[in-house]
Order: sequence, then C-alpha cells, then structure tokens
Amino acid sequence: MTTTSTDTKSGGGARVHVQRFGTFLSGMIMPNIAAFIAWGLITAFFIPTGWTPNESIAKMVGPMIVYLLPLLIANTGGRMVYGVRGGVIATIATMGVIVGSEIPMFIGAMLVGPLSAYLLKKLDGLWAGKIRPGFEMLVDNFSSGILGAILALAAFFGIAPVVTAFSTALEGGVNWLVANHLLPLASILVEPGKVLFLNNAINHGVFTPIGVQQVAESGKSVLFLIEANPGPGLGILLAFTFFGVGLARASAPGAIIIQFLGGIHEIYFPYVLMKPMLILAAIGGGMTGVAINVAFQTGLRAPASPGSIFAVLLQTAPDSYVGVILSVIGSAAVSFLIASVILRSSRKRDLENGEDGDLSAAVSKTEAMKGKSSSVLSGLAAAGTTDAAAAAAAGHQLSNIVFACDAGMGSSAMGASVLRNKIKKAGLTGITVTNQAIANLDGTADLVITHQDLTARAQQKSPASVHVSVSNFMNSPKYDEVVDLLQSKADSEATL
Amino acid sequence: MTAQILELINVVADGTAATKDEAIREAGELLVAAGAVTQAYVDSMFDREASVSTYMGNFLAIPHGTNEAKESILHSALSLVRYDTPIDWDGNPVRFAVGIAGLNNEHLAILSKIAIVFSDEDEVEKLIDAADAGEMYSLLEEVNAE
Repeated sequence: MTTTSTDTKSGGGARVHVQRFGTFLSGMIMPNIAAFIAWGLITAFFIPTGWTPNESIAKMVGPMIVYLLPLLIANTGGRMVYGVRGGVIATIATMGVIVGSEIPMFIGAMLVGPLSAYLLKKLDGLWAGKIRPGFEMLVDNFSSGILGAILALAAFFGIAPVVTAFSTALEGGVNWLVANHLLPLASILVEPGKVLFLNNAINHGVFTPIGVQQVAESGKSVLFLIEANPGPGLGILLAFTFFGVGLARASAPGAIIIQFLGGIHEIYFPYVLMKPMLILAAIGGGMTGVAINVAFQTGLRAPASPGSIFAVLLQTAPDSYVGVILSVIGSAAVSFLIASVILRSSRKRDLENGEDGDLSAAVSKTEAMKGKSSSVLSGLAAAGTTDAAAAAAAGHQLSNIVFACDAGMGSSAMGASVLRNKIKKAGLTGITVTNQAIANLDGTADLVITHQDLTARAQQKSPASVHVSVSNFMNSPKYDEVVDLLQSKADSEATL
Repeated sequence: MTAQILELINVVADGTAATKDEAIREAGELLVAAGAVTQAYVDSMFDREASVSTYMGNFLAIPHGTNEAKESILHSALSLVRYDTPIDWDGNPVRFAVGIAGLNNEHLAILSKIAIVFSDEDEVEKLIDAADAGEMYSLLEEVNAE
C-alpha cells in the first residue's frame, strides 16, 4: 500500500490536470447522452439495415448526427465555460465548423464551443461594470451576436479544415491498430485510465466521436465496446466474491449488480485501487474482449451508456450478438482468472494483517481521485452560507442575477447597484446584475433577489430560479453571502 | 444628465415631516413642484407604501409610485429630504427619504450612485453631518465623479 500512495503522489500533478481535462470533456458529453440514446434507437430501428426499416423516419438520422448532437455538445461546453451566454455563442460558432466540413463535427464542437464561450467571457470582461444601467441587454445581445457571426466565419474557414485533418489522423491511428490487429493493445492505456476515473473522458471523448463516424460508414463500431464492456469489471468483482477478504468480499456481490446490470463502472474502481496489481486483470480482460470482437468483426451501433450489459445488448448490431456476448463472457473470465491468482497469492498475508482489504481507505482514496469538482460544490453549500436558497444555488449557473421589486423602479434598482458594486470590487466577471418589476420576470434569471415580502410572488413568476430574500436592501449580509458564493464558484471553475 | 434628474433645488437638508405619511407627501410634493409628476402619482406612492415598505436600510427610505402609476410621470426626477429627527418608518429609523419618479430607466444612473453611497455607512455619516443641501448634493456629486 505504501508504494501505491507514493506513486499516486508523484504522478499527482499531471494526473490532476489530465483528469480535469477529462472531466471537462465528459462534462460536455454526459448531459447529452439522452440525445445519443435517442439517436441510437432511431438509427437501430429505422435505417435500411435496421430492425424495422422506414425510409421517411430514417431521414432524421442524418440531421441528428450532423447538427443536433454536435450543437448540443457545443452548447453544453459553452455553458460550462460561461453560462447561458456561453452556450449560445458556442452553438453559433459551431455551425461554422459543421457546415465547413464533411464529417460529423464532434471534436470540432468540443473545441470550438468552449473556446467561443471563453472568448466571449474575455470580451465581456473588457466592459464589465462600465455599461450604463439599462443598456446591458443591448450591449450583451449585440456583442455576442457580432462576435458569434465572426467566430462562425472563422470556424468555417479556419478551424473546420484543421479539425477534419486532426480527426482523420486520429481515425487513422485507430484504423491502423485495427488493420494491424493491434486494437487490443488499446486496453493497456484504457483500463488504467478508467480506474483513474478517466473512463467517461476516454469513452465519450475519444471512442464515441470516431465510433459514431464508423457507424455512419459501416453500421457498427467495435470502439463503443473498448471501454464500455462490463466484462473486465465483472471478473474482478467475482474474484473478490470468492477469494477476497473482509469487507471487500462481503460488498462485492452487491457491487456486481450495480456494475454489470446497472452499468455504473465506477463501483469497481476502488477494488482495483486497493490492490493496484489488479489492473493487470482489467487489462487482460479488456484485451480479451477487444480481441474477440475484432475476430468476429462485431460491434455496437451506438454508444452503450451506461456500460450495463442491457445497454450493450440493446445497442448490439443485429449480426453481432454472438461476438459481443462472447466478448463480455471472455473478458470477464480472463479478468476473473488473473484477479483470482493475484488475490489468492496475497490472501494469507491480508488475513494475517487483519486488513479488511482496506476498502474504506481505498474508497476515500477514490473520492480524492475523483477530483475536486463534486466535493467543492457540495462543500461550497456548507461554506459561508446559512441560506437554504444559496445552498441550492451551489449546483446552478449563477451568471444572471435579477433584483426584482414591485415597480422595478426603486428598491430593486438600488439593490442591484449595491450588489453590482460589491461584485465588481470582488473582481468577479461574467456576471450580470439587473433589476426588473416582478411582473416582468421571464423565468430566465439564475438568481432572483427580492424583498422578503415579495419573494413568494417572485417564486411564482420565475420558478426555476434560485431565490434569495432580503429585508434590508442597502446593507444586507445576504449580499456578502452571494458574493462569497460567486467567488468560490469562480475559483472552482477557474481551476477546470 | 444626472443633474437634470436630481437637481439641487430638490435636495432639502431639514425636512419638516414628523411621520411616515408626511414624509411621503413631502417627497411627492417636491416631485410635483419640479413638474415631474401629477398629483395622482403622489397618491400612488401611498398605495405602493401600503403594499411593501420602501425602507431600504441604513436610514434610507425611497418612496415611489406603483407600476401602474407610471403614466402619471411627466419626466424622470428624484428628490432627497433629510430629517434631523429619525422618522418611524414601519418601525425603522429613517433620516433620508428619496422620492423617485422614473421613466425608461433614466433615473437609474443617479439612483445607483445614491445606492452605493448609502450602502457605505461612513458615507451615510457624512451625509448626516453635512451642513446644508449644497454639501449633501456635492457628496453625491463626488460619487458621480468617481
């Protein structure tokens, strides 16, 4: 165990960066998985080679993969960088890449989306807080409209060819592995990456975009199975069930249900982290699964997400059931055998040490590995705010703050000025504070601040917003709470 | 621009009102006298006050009309009255009443200056200590200059 912790420490800096990048990539994809599934289902049923071919319905397949999916990804990526405004400009600019190229622009969307949002954030920063009150909407709309048009043109002429070339090169690399029967070697990189919680980044960041293109060409792709195959994890958990000790052994059967049937692979990562040798079992299992699929020329027609056996079978191409099922069984068997040998060889020592398999330590290590994004957010709710609304705000975008009062003429305007002043002094950018009459609330505000007597009415008008009540507009401690919240949010986002 | 909204003539250093209602009337009459609003607007200021208090904190209240009464506004204007004896404003002590008539957000620039001044207790102290309306006016002007 000592060696492991040293390893973790020395590789920490780079790993944290890679993982943050991975978190960011998967953060762009994960919220849109539903759209991928919908597209996968429509494709599976209605394309000419599908289960129930239907030419007119199948017309959706093309536009969905060319426009819908990349634009959704771009919008999500833009939102992650700069809220709703970021999402809009990311979507505008990504149209340039899409129209400027021949292939589905997933990588282009993942690149141009966040970049456009970042540029808008910088542009807004130039005149943040300097716009005369009442003109913010005008300036905001035209600045992002003009920048959006420019970025779409730039993407059309400049980025699309680069992304096409990059995408071709990456595809070439994978194709090279395929042509030389070396694709199983990918598992040597994929399995350790998975256990470090780069699973979603690897699957959705690398394999999904290329795989989707393969599907467009040949109706299926083996790439969807390289990471999502639940076999290797199943084998490791089975080995713990039979040869593990203590808590690890007792919990493994339950983990199997969550991992194999539920598709949440994360559940087995702690078991590998507490016995790092087990990564060999995962690699062995993974390579076996890939090798079987390559041999049978089998694949999935869409990403299996989550990587549950049900999702895998649902997305299996009609001609591929034998190979895919064998690959799951084979990979589970191989990883089970290797893991069993490793566990048995160390079993006596583990029992003597009274080590409960060290699961609780490994679990906490896993949580640390998972990076700060989630823990920071939950900690943020606890830090410095006593307000339930502010706590609820922890998971929200908070770039559009609206003060509302009855007429939108007096108190809300003054409250907005005071808060805007505080935000400016705190050096925060990318946040707009405006004021409105409650009657004019349109539900788009992230955070609505009202006098305590008016909060109930404001909640009715803008139910999706976070609401904060104040009793004193000039000197409310709530303002400092809001600024603290924004500050810590900005800090945590800046580290992404 | 800001000078047109809040004119020195509408800044009063020694208000005569002793109750909240009198103070609202005093603020309203200054706006009427400035030709900014009709008498109907002053009435709506009481309606507005009845729904939710316009007490803002830090000795400041901002009596103004309702959303519906915006038709009674002829042009945007502000008035500022200081009281030596705190007025009981729904249980809160008020030393300053800012009467507001705002159209098309023209008054927001100066109102936001006032807000920032009043959010700083040291600045409020300076306003309380100001010798006359002229000094009060220039304290707000200083903020304008920043």
